[in-house]
Amino acid sequence: MMATRTRTGILHEILALRKEGRGAEALHRLQGALRQRRLDPLEIDQAGRFLQQEWARQDQKAAGVRVLLLGQCTTSWLVPALVAVAWGRQARVQIEEGGYDTVLQDLARRPAQDSPDVVILLPWNQRLLGRTDVPPRQRIDEELAFWQEAWHLVHSRHHSRLLQVGYDWVDGGAAGHFLAGQPGGPVWLVREMNAALRERLPAGSFFLDLVQVSGASGRTSFYDMRRYCWTRQPFSEAGIYHLAEHVWAGVQALTVGPKKVLVVDLDNTVWGGVVGETGPHGIVLGDSGDGAAYQAFQRYLKELRSRGVLLAAVSKNNPEDARAPFQLNRDMVLHLDDFAAFEAGWAPKSVMLERVARDLRLGLDSFVFFDDNPAEQEQVRQALPEVEVVAVPSEPAEYIGALVDGLWFEAAAVTGEDRDRADRYQSEQARRQEQWSFASLEDYLRSLQMRAEVRPLDEADLPRVVQLLARTNQFNLTTRRHSREEVQALAGQSGAVALTLRGEDRFGDLGLIAVLLAVPAGDGDEPTVRIDTWLMSCRAIGRTIEHFLFTAFLERCRALGLRKVVGEYIATPKNGLVKGLYKELGFALLSADGAGASRYELVLEEARPPVTFVTAKG
Amino acid sequence: MDDYLDRLNAVFQQVFLDDRLVVTRDTTAQDVEGWDSLMHVSLMVNVEKAFGVRFRSSEVAGLQTVGELIDLIRARQEATRRQ
Repeated sequence: MMATRTRTGILHEILALRKEGRGAEALHRLQGALRQRRLDPLEIDQAGRFLQQEWARQDQKAAGVRVLLLGQCTTSWLVPALVAVAWGRQARVQIEEGGYDTVLQDLARRPAQDSPDVVILLPWNQRLLGRTDVPPRQRIDEELAFWQEAWHLVHSRHHSRLLQVGYDWVDGGAAGHFLAGQPGGPVWLVREMNAALRERLPAGSFFLDLVQVSGASGRTSFYDMRRYCWTRQPFSEAGIYHLAEHVWAGVQALTVGPKKVLVVDLDNTVWGGVVGETGPHGIVLGDSGDGAAYQAFQRYLKELRSRGVLLAAVSKNNPEDARAPFQLNRDMVLHLDDFAAFEAGWAPKSVMLERVARDLRLGLDSFVFFDDNPAEQEQVRQALPEVEVVAVPSEPAEYIGALVDGLWFEAAAVTGEDRDRADRYQSEQARRQEQWSFASLEDYLRSLQMRAEVRPLDEADLPRVVQLLARTNQFNLTTRRHSREEVQALAGQSGAVALTLRGEDRFGDLGLIAVLLAVPAGDGDEPTVRIDTWLMSCRAIGRTIEHFLFTAFLERCRALGLRKVVGEYIATPKNGLVKGLYKELGFALLSADGAGASRYELVLEEARPPVTFVTAKG
Repeated sequence: MDDYLDRLNAVFQQVFLDDRLVVTRDTTAQDVEGWDSLMHVSLMVNVEKAFGVRFRSSEVAGLQTVGELIDLIRARQEATRRQ
C-alpha cells in the first residue's frame, strides 16, 4: 500500500537554503515535503540528520517530546528517521540513544530525576531464536524476565511511559515454512513471546507489534541482513522508515493521544458519483465494483466511530441532497446519526471545517480531512495547516489503506469512554440545536437537567483519568501529564483530596468528565491543600459543571478541617479559557512568575459556593 | 570517467549534508568529517541506490579510497549487465 517515493532533490534544495542563511525556511520546506510523504527512505535519514544539526546549531535541544531509545540491536538509524517523521507530523522530538544491547545497564545507570517522556524498548531476536541449546520455553521466560526488569527499572525510578516493541522473525530458518510455526520453531517462539509481552506489559503502555509492521511492507524488503552483519542493525532503509512511523504513532498515542475527528467528504468519497446530479438512488454503492469499495469504506468508518473516533461530514451540496442517501438509499452503511457534525453547503471546505471544530469544541489539530478532490485537499492544506490532509488515492478500493497508512488513530488502549464518545457527541449535537431556541443561557442550562456525582478517585477510574490528563488542553489549570503511577502516588498521600465527576443530562450520559487532585501543602498550623491538577473534558465546558465540582471539593476540605486552598494556573497556548478561574472563585493572587505560572489562595472560611445548574445525582 | 566522480560527489554532498564537499579519486574516510563506520553504511546504501547496484559485504569492508569505490561500482554494473 506504500506510495511510490521518488528522490525529490529536496535535500539539495534545503542545503542551498541553509547556505543562504534561510534556515527557518529550509525547515519549513522540509516539513511540507515530509508531511506529504514525498521523501524516500534514504532522504528521510538525511532529513533527520539535517534537523538534528539545525537544532543543535540553534541550541533548542530542550524543546519537544523527550524519548529514550534502548535496543537489543543497533538503533542509530532509527534516531534520524524518528526525528524526520515527527517533524512531518509537526512535532519536535529529542532522542537519547542507549548503547548496543545494554538496555538494563543504561536504565540502572540513569539518574532517577532524569525522566524522559517515553522509553522505547526495541528487542532483537538473537537470543530468543539463537540460543538453540536452551529449551524454547526457558528462552521465552528469560527474555520476558529481561523486559520485566527493564519495565521495573523504568517505573520504579521514572514517570515515563513505555513503548515496548515486539519480536519478529526474518525467515523461518532451517525448520522451513511449515515447521517454523510448530512449537519450538522460530515463528512459534516469536508469537508466544509477543503474547507474553502483551499480557504482562504494565497498563498504560503501548505495544508495537513488529510482526504486523514488517508483514505489511513485506519482510524481504523490511530487513536487510547485510546491515545486521555490518553493524548489528537488521532493518533496511525502508524498514527503518516504516518502523519510525509506527514508533512515532505510538509516542503520539502515549503523549497527546490519537487524532479525534475524521472529516469526510461525501460525493466520490463515501459513495461514487455526485448525488446532486443522480439523486439518492443513482449513486454508486452496492455489492460489486466501485460500489463494493465505497461500502467497505463506509463499514471501516463505522468501525472507527465505534472505537471512539468522531466522524464529521463536509460536503459541497444542497443540504437536502447531501442527506437524502442516508435517509433513502438502503445500501448505505452509515447513517446520519453516525456523524457528530454534518455540514453541507457551498462555503469553502476550510470554513466548514472551522464550523465543525467550533461545534465539537475540539482543536483543528485533532482533525484528519479525507476528500477525493485534490483541489479541496490543497485548499484545506493552505488555509488550515494544523489539519492533517489525507492524500486520497484515485482508487476507492484503496481508501481504507490510505487511512491505515496514516496511523492517525493508533491508540494505546480503548476505554469504555472511547466507545461511547461518538454517541455522546451525537447527543451534544441535539443539545446545541436546542441551545439557540432558549431566551437566555440560564434557561438553556436549566433545560439540560444536568446531574452529576462527585466521588473520591478509585482504582477503576485510573485509565480514564490518565487519559484525560494526557489529552485535556483547554480546561486544564496546570496541564501536568501525570502517569498512572503518579496519580496513584498523589491520591494516595494522607490528606490528599482526589475527586472525579461523572455527569449526565437529559440527552444522555456524559461519563467521567472532570478530575481534581489536591495534595497537602505543608503549612504548619494552617492546614492547606494545593490543587495540583484540575481539568475538565471539553464537552463539559460552559455548563457550570466546574462549579458543582468545586462546591463538592470545598465541602470535602471543610470536612477534613482544612483552613486554606492554594490553586495554581500554568499558562499554555491552549488553556486561556481558565486563566481567570481562580479569581472568579474568590481566590486571592499570591504570586505570578514571568513564565505564565501564578499561585492563588483561598481561605475556606471566606469561600462561597459558585452558581451551578447541576444538581446532585441519586 | 569524470561522470562517475560527479555523480558520486552529489551523493557524498547529500549524505554528509554538505554541498561544499568535493571528493577526488584519492579521498579517504579520514578526509571527510563524519565518515565513520556507521556513516560508511549510510553512504554505501545511498551509492547502491544512486547507481542501481548492490554490493557484497566483503567489498564494502575493504574500500579505502573514493577511486576504489568508483571501480567497485563499475565492476558491479558490469557484472549485472553480463547476467
